[in-house]
Order: sequence, then C-alpha cells, then structure tokens
Amino acid sequence: MSAQAKLRQERTAFYRFFHAGRGDSPFKRLLIHLALIFSCVVAVYPVLRVFSVSLRPGNRLLSTSLAIIPDDASLGNYIRLLTEKDFLLWIWNSLVITMATAIIGVILAATSAYAFSRWKFPGRSAGLVFLLTTQMIPAAMLMVPIYIMAARLKLINTYIGLTIAYCVSSVPFSIWILKGYYDTVPIDLEEAAEIDGCSKISSFLRVLLPLSTPALAIVFLFNFMTAWNDFMLARIMLQQEAMLTWTLGLQRLQGQFQTEWGMFAAASILVMVPVMSLFLYSSKWLISGLTLGAVKG
Amino acid sequence: MGGLTPQTITRSLGQVGITVIFILVATVVIELALYFLLGKALRSKYTLPFMLVAPAAIGLALLVVYPIGFEVALAFSNMSLKTFKNPTFGLVQGWNNFKTVFTQPVLKQVGFFPIFFHTVLWTVINLVFHVTGGMALALLLNRPMRLRGLYRTLLVFPWAIPQVIACLAWRGEFHFEYGFVNVMLTRLGLTPIKWLTNPFWNFAAICITNIWLGIPFMAVIFLGGLQSIPRDMYEAAEMDGASAWQQFRNITLPLMQPVMTPAIILGTIWTFNNFNVPFFINQNELETSDILVTALFRAAFEYNRYGFSAAFAIVIFAILFIFAVLYIRATGGLKGVYE
Amino acid sequence: MKKLVGILTIMVVASLLLTGCPKATPAAAKEVKITLWTKEGEADNALQFVKALCDAYHAQHENVTFEVVNKDVETLREDFQTASLAGMPPDLLWTVNDHAGPFTTADIIQPVDNLFDLSKYVDSAVAAVKLNGKTWGVPIANGNHLMLLYNKDLIAEAPKDTDELFAKGKELASGEQYGLVWNQTEPFWLVPWLGGFGGAVFAEDGKTPTLNTPEMVATLKFLHDMKYDAKIIPPESDYNGADTLFKEGKAAMIINGDWSLGGYKDILGDKLGVAPIPKVTATGQWPKPYTSGVFFMLPKGLSGDKLEVVKDFITFVTNKDNQLEMVRKLTRLPALKEALSDPLIASDPILKGSAEQMTYGTPMPTVVEMRCNWDAMKPEMQAVLADTKTPQDAAAAMQAAAEACIAALE
Repeated sequence: MSAQAKLRQERTAFYRFFHAGRGDSPFKRLLIHLALIFSCVVAVYPVLRVFSVSLRPGNRLLSTSLAIIPDDASLGNYIRLLTEKDFLLWIWNSLVITMATAIIGVILAATSAYAFSRWKFPGRSAGLVFLLTTQMIPAAMLMVPIYIMAARLKLINTYIGLTIAYCVSSVPFSIWILKGYYDTVPIDLEEAAEIDGCSKISSFLRVLLPLSTPALAIVFLFNFMTAWNDFMLARIMLQQEAMLTWTLGLQRLQGQFQTEWGMFAAASILVMVPVMSLFLYSSKWLISGLTLGAVKG
Repeated sequence: MGGLTPQTITRSLGQVGITVIFILVATVVIELALYFLLGKALRSKYTLPFMLVAPAAIGLALLVVYPIGFEVALAFSNMSLKTFKNPTFGLVQGWNNFKTVFTQPVLKQVGFFPIFFHTVLWTVINLVFHVTGGMALALLLNRPMRLRGLYRTLLVFPWAIPQVIACLAWRGEFHFEYGFVNVMLTRLGLTPIKWLTNPFWNFAAICITNIWLGIPFMAVIFLGGLQSIPRDMYEAAEMDGASAWQQFRNITLPLMQPVMTPAIILGTIWTFNNFNVPFFINQNELETSDILVTALFRAAFEYNRYGFSAAFAIVIFAILFIFAVLYIRATGGLKGVYE
Repeated sequence: MKKLVGILTIMVVASLLLTGCPKATPAAAKEVKITLWTKEGEADNALQFVKALCDAYHAQHENVTFEVVNKDVETLREDFQTASLAGMPPDLLWTVNDHAGPFTTADIIQPVDNLFDLSKYVDSAVAAVKLNGKTWGVPIANGNHLMLLYNKDLIAEAPKDTDELFAKGKELASGEQYGLVWNQTEPFWLVPWLGGFGGAVFAEDGKTPTLNTPEMVATLKFLHDMKYDAKIIPPESDYNGADTLFKEGKAAMIINGDWSLGGYKDILGDKLGVAPIPKVTATGQWPKPYTSGVFFMLPKGLSGDKLEVVKDFITFVTNKDNQLEMVRKLTRLPALKEALSDPLIASDPILKGSAEQMTYGTPMPTVVEMRCNWDAMKPEMQAVLADTKTPQDAAAAMQAAAEACIAALE
C-alpha cells in the first residue's frame, strides 16, 4: 500500500468517525460510546446529587459522601412535602398557568410567523429586527415598570397579567423558530391547495400547520418551560397563598439563613417531572423542529 | 389555607377562564378593527398579514415598549432612595447618569470597563465551549448507532431542569468541604480549591456551570442542521480525496452557517444577559465575577440608584444592539432568517 | 338612698354594657382586609406562627381578614419600594429593623411614636428603629444576635476568653473536626469582634464610616490568626457549611444567631450549650454582636379604619401571652418588658444564654449608609481570610469603598 493510499485510508477513517455510521471499527464505536457515556454522566450527575439530598433525612444539604443513595435514605422529605406543604396546590397552579400560556403562546406565534414567512409586508424586516432586539433587554430592568403597570391595571393577584406576560415574552423566539420552519416548507403545497379553492387561512390550517408539527411542538415546549420555570414575574404578580406557583412556594422553604434543603431538593426533583416528560414526549421532534435557519443543501 | 381543595381548583380554572375570555375578546376586537380599517377602508393587500401579526405585536408593544419608555424617562432623572417620591427629570440629570456609568465605580470598587471586560470574557469563553461542545456532541450523535435515543435524552438534562435549581445544585458542587470536585481532590491527596473566595476559580466556577447549561441547546440545533446536509455531498467529496477535516471545513461548516449564525447571535445575547448563573453561584459577591447584568441588578435593587441603573441598562442594551448589527453585517448571516 | 344608689349602679352598669356591647364587637361594622407582608419563612415555623396569630385575631374580630404574604428579606424591601412607587403598598410590614433606613429615606413608612405606648417595650429594641428623633417600628422580637453555641459532647464548657478559645480550639481541631465554625462570607460575623476590640463601624454621628482604624486592623488580624495560626476554623466556610459541620458533630463550637436555636435544639437536645462569644483577651472587652430583632412597620399612607385595625392587631400580637407563645414556638426573645422578665426565660438555659449574650449586644445601625459599610467590609474581610490582603490594606480599602458608595447614594 502506498503511503498516499494509507494516508487517504486514515483520512477516510477520520471522516467516518465524525460523519458516518457505517463501517466504523468496533474500537471506534467503543470510543464514541465512551465519549457519549462520559458526557451523559456529566449532564446527569448534578441532578442525581439533588436527588441524593432529597433522600437524606434531617435536612442535611451537604455531605462528603458521594453515594447517590445515602445509607439512611428515606422518602420522608417527599412525604412531608406532600402532606405538610401545599405542594400539590402550587403544582396545580403552575400547571394551569403554564398550559394556558403554552397553548395561547403557540397560537400567537404560529399566526404571526405565518405572516412573516409568506408575505413581504411593509415593516416586515423591521419587525424581525425588533423581535431580536427584545431579547437584548436586560430582564431585571423590566420588573419595576411591569409591576407598576400591572398594579395600575389591577392585574396583581390575577392570572391574566401573568399569562399574557409569559406568552408575549416567549413570542419573539417562538416566531423565529416557526418562521424558520415555515420557510423550509415549499410554498407550492399551499398554492396547490389554493388552486383547489382553499382560502389563505384554510390552506394555512390544513397544509402548512400539519406539516409544521415538529416546530409547533418545540414552540409549545419553549413556552411551557418559560412559564413553568419563571420566578421573577410570578414573584411580583402573585401574592395570595391560594394562587402561588411552585417557584414561589419553593422559595418559602428558604428562610433568611435556614433552608429546608431536604424538602427543597425533593420538590426540585418533582417539578422536573413534567418538563422531562414533555421533553421525552417531544424528543422525536426536538431535532427537526428547532430550525433557527434553514440549511440549503 | 388548606392546600389543593375543590375551591382552589375551581379558582385557578376560573382565573384561567377569565384570561382566555379576555384574550379572545381583545383579539376579536383588534382583528375586526383592523379588518374594517385596512381591508374595507384602505383596501390594503396586506390586510391579512397585518391581522395575523397584530395580536403578538400589540402584546409585545405593551410588555416591552411601555417599560422601555419608563426606563428611558428614569435614565433622565435623578431618582434614588433620597429622591424617591419626587425625582426631577431633565437632560442634565440624564447627562450625569450616563457620565457616571463610565466614570465612577458601578459597584463598590469596580468601574464599568473592567466589568465590561469580564462580560466579554465570560461571553466568549461560554460561546466557544457551547459551540465546540455542541458541535462535538452533534457530530458524535449524527450517525446510526445503538442507544442514540437514550444518549439524546440524557444529554438534554441540563437544558430541561429549571435553571435556578441547576445553579443551586452546582453551587453545592463547588462547596469547599462537600463539593464534588474538592471531595475528589482531597481523596486524591491534592489541595482542594477555594471556589468561593479565589477570584479566578470563582469565575471558572460560573463558567463551568453555564457551559454545562448551554451545550445541550447548541447540540440539538446543530444536530438538526447536520441531519439536513445531504450525505451524497460527503460521498462526492470523499471520491475527490478530501480529508475529513477538509470535508468538515468545506462542506459542514459553510452549510451549517445559516444554522450557526442565528444560534451564535442568540447564544451571545443570552449569555451576555445571563443573570441566574453569575448571580447565584457567586455567593461571596466577588466583583471580579460580576458581569454587566448582575452589576445592573445590584445597582438598581441593592443600592436603589434608579436613575443611574436605568442609564446603565440602556448602555448594556446599546452594546448588544451594536454587536448584533455589526455581526450581521459582517457575516450576512441572517439572510436565512430574513429572506 | 341605698336603693337609689343600687338602681343608679345597675343603670350605669347596664348602660355601660349596652354601649359597651357594640364597641366590643365592631364586627357588625366594616369589613377590613389587611395585607401583611412578612419576612418570616416556613423553614423555622415562623410563618406558621404569623398565620396562627392572624387566625386568632380573626376569630376575635370577624370583620378583619388577613392576607399574609411571605417575602424573603431582600425581596420584601425591593418589592415594598416598588409597590409604594406604584401607590399600592401593603397595609403592614413584619420585617427587620435595618429596613427602617431605606424606608425612611424614601419616605414610605410612618413614625409610630404617637400611635403606641412604646415604653412597655424593651428599650434596646425600640432604640434599634430610632432615626431622626422618631421611632419607625413596633418591636415584635428582640435579638437576631449572634452567640456562641457549643456541643457539650465535644467541649464541656464554653471558653471564657479568646486565649482559652484558641487553646481549646487547637485541642479540638483534628482531621475532619474543627474547633469553631462560622459563616466566613458575611461581615455580620465580623462586627461582634470589632466591638470586642473597641471599634465601631460608624463615628459618633452614626453615619460616617470608621473602618480604617487600629481596632479594625486588630480585628482582621485576629480573624486571620484564628484561621492561619491557630487553625481552629475551616479553610473556607459559608453559612450552610458551618451549619452542617456543627449539626454533624464535626465542629465543637459555632457562632450563629438566635434564629438557629430551635433547629439545633431539635438535633442536639441537652447537649446544646449557649454562651456569650468569648471575651477578647487583648482588650478585656466582650464582643458586641448586633441586635436588631423583628418589627412592625406601617406604610406612609395608612389611615382610617385600616390604621385602627392595624394598631389593635399590633397590640394583640405584642401582648404578654402571644409574646411568651413566640418564645416557646420560635425560641426568640420577646420585645415586651413584661414578657422578658417572665420566669419562662430565666428557667431555660438556652434562652438564658441568649439573653445574657444580648446584654453585651449593640443595636444594629439602620441608616442607609450601613448598606455601604456591609458591602465595603464583605470583600475585604473575605480577602483577609483568603490570605490575599493584609489587614492594614483591607481596612484602608474598606474605608475607601464605603466612602465611594456613600457618595454614590446621593
């Protein structure tokens, strides 16, 4: 074998390592798996440590033991959280607000993105730049004016203000994703439907939307996460006990110096469940739906 | 209060019902108004797109435009705790605020420029790791293999868990006595690291946390991009004798550009403005680990320098805006998004 | 004549009863809803205590309902300022005394001198919210002060002075065990020692920082010695770290506040000892931890029915029974003189230790300038403890930072 041919073979092997799945040598595959397993451990380990704290009785945040399941593991923190605290109420409130936000947010973004993708209306590019600029505003600075606005409009202690604020705050990113996705769907399909007698709106509803399921799922996921994880807005908008969301409820477990870390950790694990299940459910769309810009091959 | 009772359940549902009805009514009113104004009166051919955009646009205007106006007004005032009830407004006050941002310490000792430098350093370090880490994972995953679904699921963990909880979890890992790294170092007989008090290691700690948080998002976006690159392009290149690196350089990178540019721009903005990580990990409030937004938060809420911090906020916003414009100009990278 | 007197008496009594009746239950009158913001959280059962008080008051006065909102200390301050700016403040605050500084500067709370008989409260507590010649809050609990807590399994008696502290600490420090732990991140743990060395953070006027003094240098040097010479404290320790070490029996002594007493009592039981922070041998003075406690504060615009209800509610919360109930439930020292002298406190060794420490305490300054002092001390104290700055340099830097910060407040 000539040196050049050998070099080429090595290069091809290198290429395969990065680009192809076929024909990798078992050793290479082992390496890839090891790298991925290592990454997964790094990704999951901190969460496992939280889980470990939640199993420790007696409110001990810190321990030099690296065991995930402590020797004296108990579900006491979970039981206390569910029985002594209004945890279920907090979760319920969060869930209700979050679902409303996610549904309304998707509708809001889906329709706007349709306009941005299919029409060159005046102000369109200015609008898209504006969407990007909204992401640049330091969020902490919006809190005081938003509070004052909400107080004057009597929206404190209602879900209206909060839901609208959540929907709107995730709208720029949602529009961006959806527009990116719509752009990859050939317009011919809609035109064909229009020739068959569909109106613009019904071709949108019947042709474009069903084809955009992946992106819609991702936008739903994003809206869900925005509302589910928010603390700052909820903190200024909600005060009544019966209305608290889980982020606010969890904060109550923290005193000025003292914190009930055991229950805090247990709650952290439980609140991850809805988001994780949503991620799992939408994982088949996650890769294809998150289109920030189209690859034109 | 009694937890989750039928009353509280119906109360929540009622609240949401009101919300939905309110939004529906508002939307119908807006749409009808636009329909008659644009469609019937002006006969605009863009009636439909305007109607489609209107609800989101009005919502954004309310949520963003009013607060920005409020902040701009504050930036031209001398409002602080001492002038809380009756601040005075004017160009002089505005000039003073903006001058103070650049000439006096923003926090206790550190002035604007060092913090700006930290912020740039922080953004660059994070972005470099997010992009390379994300790309590496995406390349590893972009192949048919066993356990691929499981890996993908586990790898998005950092993205899926609430950021504040992730920050608290990491803060525990950086604890001197009980944190993972130091426990490992001690077991190996090495000197444990002072994550809390040493400026360098503290900065490293916030970077590590944020890199961990940000890689999955990039990996997912890049994986989507990689998957849409037609395989035959590589096969053709391989026949021409292109090396793996050349293929990556000449096929993958250019084709990924439309995906990478917006991801990098968004990543930059989000990292630049990331509040949670530097705020929650930096327990000792070391000024060497503060970035612009955390400094802004402290100036506004801990020192109540309202006028000053509004001016400061506008400066931060302007920096990002200029960056984005320059970046877009330089790469032409938003064509895929704008056209 | 006797009959007449009798009839008259009956009539007077009857009329008193008749007119008295509606007065005792103005319930029929007006519905009043009071929004109370409190810094008390659930972690130490304090929020439950606040709610129980509100429920008890509601049971007596059915027309009064409460909405208790729990906010973290800093959040409460920020949100109260914002809410006042929006013109919709809550009706009553249950918070810490240092909020009086920012709130009076912003002119958003009202003085209480003419609303309550303040003489029945402990003088040092009332003094903690005096500013510009007026009193800005009604004390609920007194204290919030640091003290020395020790684990009797590891150390039989608390050290009397710092020499003994170092000597005993050295004996106890071995391997994973430390002699003493405390939160090395907050200057709140530095101030007691500063007092012990004869220093104070403000000059006589109460608002000019005096941080670059020989006393401060001596204090910083003392803390540095504690760590690097005597090696009785951990190389790095925040609140949770110190707390965990003490709870796990890996630290013989901890310097912590009265809020932590309940938690430690649950874990250590009889083995928990409480004593004043040991006397500084070099000066022969006791360290002076800051005392502050918890206060009711009234927002500026509060008036009319709400003000009347709030006044009555405050009197109710600070009556002797409820004060003693607080002592039992939260292990905090009461602010009412009558309750403080109750045998309940003298008979409990932990409360007695806490009360003894408090006599050496000094009220925490409430002026807004204090915020600058805290922020100036924090990084420099940390730098000395990290061995990256000399005490002299750190003290000079503290003073410079505090002055710069105060200048920026204008």
